[in-house]
Amino acid sequence: MSVKLFLAALPVVLLQAGCTNLGVEPWERGRLANPEMQLMSDPISAGLDDHIYFSKEASSGGRGFAGGGCGCN
Amino acid sequence: MIDRPVKLAAADGYWIGSFEAMASPCELFLEVDDERLANRLLSMAANEAWRIESKFSRYRRDNPVYQINNSGGKPVEVDEEIAQLLDFAEVCWQLSEGLFDITSGVLRRVWRFDGGDQLPNQQQVEQLLPYVGWQKLRWTKPYLTLPQGMEIDFGGIGKEYAVDRSMQLLQQQTDQALLINYGGDIRAVGIRHANQPWSVGIENPNHPDTPKGVLKITHGALATSGDTRRYLLHRGKRYGHVLNPKTGWPIEGSLRSVTVAAGTCTEAGLLATMALLQGSEAEIFLQNQEVQYWLTP
Amino acid sequence: MQLKQQKKISQALTAATCSLLGMNSTDSLAEEGDWTFDSAILYYSEVDRVTAVEPVITAKRDFGEEKALNLKFVFDTLSGASANGATPSDQPQTFTRPSGKGRYTASAEETPLDDTFRDNRFALSSQWEQPINQDYRTGFGVNFSTEYDYSSLSANANLSRDFNKRNTTLNAGLSLAYDTISPEGDIPIGLSSMAVDRGQADYRDEFNASRGESEDNKDTVDLILGLTQVIDRKTIMQASYSYSDVSGYLTDPFKIVSVEGDDGRPVEYRYEQRPDSRGKHSLYWQAKHEFESDILDLSYRYFWDDWGITSHTVDLRYRWMLDSRQYLEPHIRYYDQTEADFYRRFFIQGEALPDHVSADYRLGDMSALTIGIKYGMELQNQQQLSLRLEYYLQTNDNTESVIPGILNDMELYPDVEAIILQLSYKF
Repeated sequence: MSVKLFLAALPVVLLQAGCTNLGVEPWERGRLANPEMQLMSDPISAGLDDHIYFSKEASSGGRGFAGGGCGCN
Repeated sequence: MIDRPVKLAAADGYWIGSFEAMASPCELFLEVDDERLANRLLSMAANEAWRIESKFSRYRRDNPVYQINNSGGKPVEVDEEIAQLLDFAEVCWQLSEGLFDITSGVLRRVWRFDGGDQLPNQQQVEQLLPYVGWQKLRWTKPYLTLPQGMEIDFGGIGKEYAVDRSMQLLQQQTDQALLINYGGDIRAVGIRHANQPWSVGIENPNHPDTPKGVLKITHGALATSGDTRRYLLHRGKRYGHVLNPKTGWPIEGSLRSVTVAAGTCTEAGLLATMALLQGSEAEIFLQNQEVQYWLTP
Repeated sequence: MQLKQQKKISQALTAATCSLLGMNSTDSLAEEGDWTFDSAILYYSEVDRVTAVEPVITAKRDFGEEKALNLKFVFDTLSGASANGATPSDQPQTFTRPSGKGRYTASAEETPLDDTFRDNRFALSSQWEQPINQDYRTGFGVNFSTEYDYSSLSANANLSRDFNKRNTTLNAGLSLAYDTISPEGDIPIGLSSMAVDRGQADYRDEFNASRGESEDNKDTVDLILGLTQVIDRKTIMQASYSYSDVSGYLTDPFKIVSVEGDDGRPVEYRYEQRPDSRGKHSLYWQAKHEFESDILDLSYRYFWDDWGITSHTVDLRYRWMLDSRQYLEPHIRYYDQTEADFYRRFFIQGEALPDHVSADYRLGDMSALTIGIKYGMELQNQQQLSLRLEYYLQTNDNTESVIPGILNDMELYPDVEAIILQLSYKF
C-alpha cells in the first residue's frame, strides 16, 4: 500500500517541480477558454456514463464526486 | 513571407471569418449571402488589421514607428494616417490632463507585467521619467520631432483603431449587418434579419481561462481596457499595467477591467483607458460621461 | 478631474474620434440572460436483460463575479432482469422473490435472472460555487436521491487554489453520504439459505428465518486531491488521487450464491454477504489537446481497494470538427478488473463457507470495451444538439479451479452486451 501511495505522489511531485516551466502567459489563454477544452466539458454525459459503469463494474469515481447514490452496486 | 491563416465558416444565415492579428483572435460575423463576398470582406478586414499591426508594431524595423523612434531628435515627416493619430493622441492627452500619453511606452523597459513580483526601484523609474511627456515633443503637422531617447507607442489605441478602420472598408462594400471582434474590441453595424442581435463569445475578465460569456449586441462598439492579464503582484499588492506617465508608477487603486460602450471602438477604448487612469475615481468618471460601462474591481 | 471638464471630455472625445475616423453611429447593447440549461435523455439496453431510460436536466444560473448555482434533476426508470448470481443448470430452477411472495424461475441452461426490480429513481442535486479571493475558489453542494427501496443524501465541499499565473490549480474535495436501504421483504441474513416455496407448511417461517432487519445504512466519506496544469496554449492536464471509505451494509440483498453438489447441480442457494467496510483508492490522469480545431481527450484511471479489486480504465475521445458548427466524436473505452477476494462463481457442497462471499459478476474478473460515436451540432443562438450511440461488451473470466459435473456444459460467464443511446440538448 505504501509503495502505491509513493508512486501516486511521485507524478504529482514531478509535475509540481516542472510547473514553473510549463504554462502560458495570461494573454495566451484564448483557446483554453473554449468550453470544449475544459477538462469536464460535458458533465451530463460524464454523469450518465459514471452511473452506467458504476452499475456494471466494481470501480467507481476517480474524477470527481458522483452526486447521489443509487442502490445498484 | 509566411502566409497567415484565414478561415471562413458558414453559420446559420451568416458567415464567420477568423484569423489572428495583434496577438489576438479576430472574428468577423458577416450577414451576407454570397460566399465570395464573405471571403472578400474577410480578406479586406484581415489585410487591414495586419497592415495596421505592421505599421504600428514596435517590433519591426521597417515601419514609420521605427523611423520615428530612431530619428535621433530630428524631425520626421509623417503620413496622413499617422498625422491623424497624432492629432487624436494630442486631444486625448489634453482631455485626460496628461494621464493618457503615448510617449509613456519607454517605461516598459523597467516594468515587466508578467504576473510575477519584480518591481523596479524608484531610481530605475526616475531615470526614465525625463523621456516621458507629450509636452516634450514637437508636433506640427506634418513634422514630428521626438527628442532623443523618447518613443511613441500606439499600442493603447491600435486594436480599437483597427476595428474601426476595418469596418470602414467593409461598409464601402456592403450595407449588410456586420460585426468585428478583435480580441474583445467589438463593433457592429447594420441591421440583421428580424432584428436579431449578434451573440459574441467574450472572456470573463476575472478568469481569462474560464469559458466565455456571451454578449448580445445589435449595433455600436465595445472596448475593454484592463490589467487582468498583465499585472504584478508584490507583497500582496496588485500593480496594474496602466502607468501614470507623470510618476512612472502604476495608477493607484485602479480597477482590474473596464468595458465601455460607445459609437466607435476607438472612442470606447479611449473612455475605458481614461477611466482606468482615474484610479479609484473611475466609476465617477464613467457616470459623468453618461456611457454604458461594466467594471471589474 | 472636475465635473464640468468631464462632461466636455465625452463630447470632445466623440468629436476627436469622428475626425480620426470620419464616422458616427449610435449604440445599443444587451447582455445574455442568466440561466443556461443542458438536458439529455439516455436509453440503455442490455441484450435480454436490463433496460434503463434516464432523462436529465441541469440548470445553471450565473450570478456574475464568478458565482454560480447549478441544479440537476435526474429521473431514471429501470426494467428488465438482472443476473442473481446463481449458476445455470441442466434443469429449470426456482427462486424466491426478494419480497418472499412469489417465485421466479430460470429455464434449463439459462442464466438465472431476477426480474423483480422495476424501479424508478429520482435524484436532485444543487451545487454552489464562488471565489473567495483572487486565488481561491470554493464550492459546496447537496444531493438527494430516492427510489422504492433505497435513498441517499449527501453533501460535498471543495476548495481550489491557483498558482503560477493560473497555470496550476490545486484542489481538494470532501463528500459525505448517508444511504438507507429498505428492501421489500426485509434484508436477508447473509449466508443464510434461500427458502423456496415448494408448498411446505412452514415456508413462511423458513422465509422469515432468513430475514433480518427491515432496513440498514451505508456511510461514505470521499476525499479527492487534484492538480490541474496548463501545459501550453493548446494542452491541459490533470491528475488526481481519490480515497473513499464506505461502511455499513454493502451487500446486495437480491444476490445469491449457488451451492453445488458433486454433480454440479444446485443443492441450495445462499444469500451473499460482503464485508461491512470498503476502502477504495483511485489515481486518475487526463489530458486534452487541441489540434487545428479538433480536440483529443485521453484519460487513465488506476483503481484498487481492500476487497482485492484492482482495475485499469483507459478512455479516448477524438472530436473531429466537420466545420465550425458540427462534429463527429469517436470514442473508445477499455476496462479491466481483477476479482474481489471473496468472489466465487459458486460453492461446492462440503466446502467451508467463508465469512464473505458473492457471486455477483460485477465483482469478478472481467474486461470491457465500449466503442461509440457522437454527432453534435451548434444551432442558432448558441444552442447545441448531439446524439451518441455506443456499444458496450463485457467479458467475464473464470477463476474457479474446479468446475464440477454438469457445470462444465454450462455458460457460466456469459458476455454482457449493451447499447447506449443518448440525445442531448443545450439551450
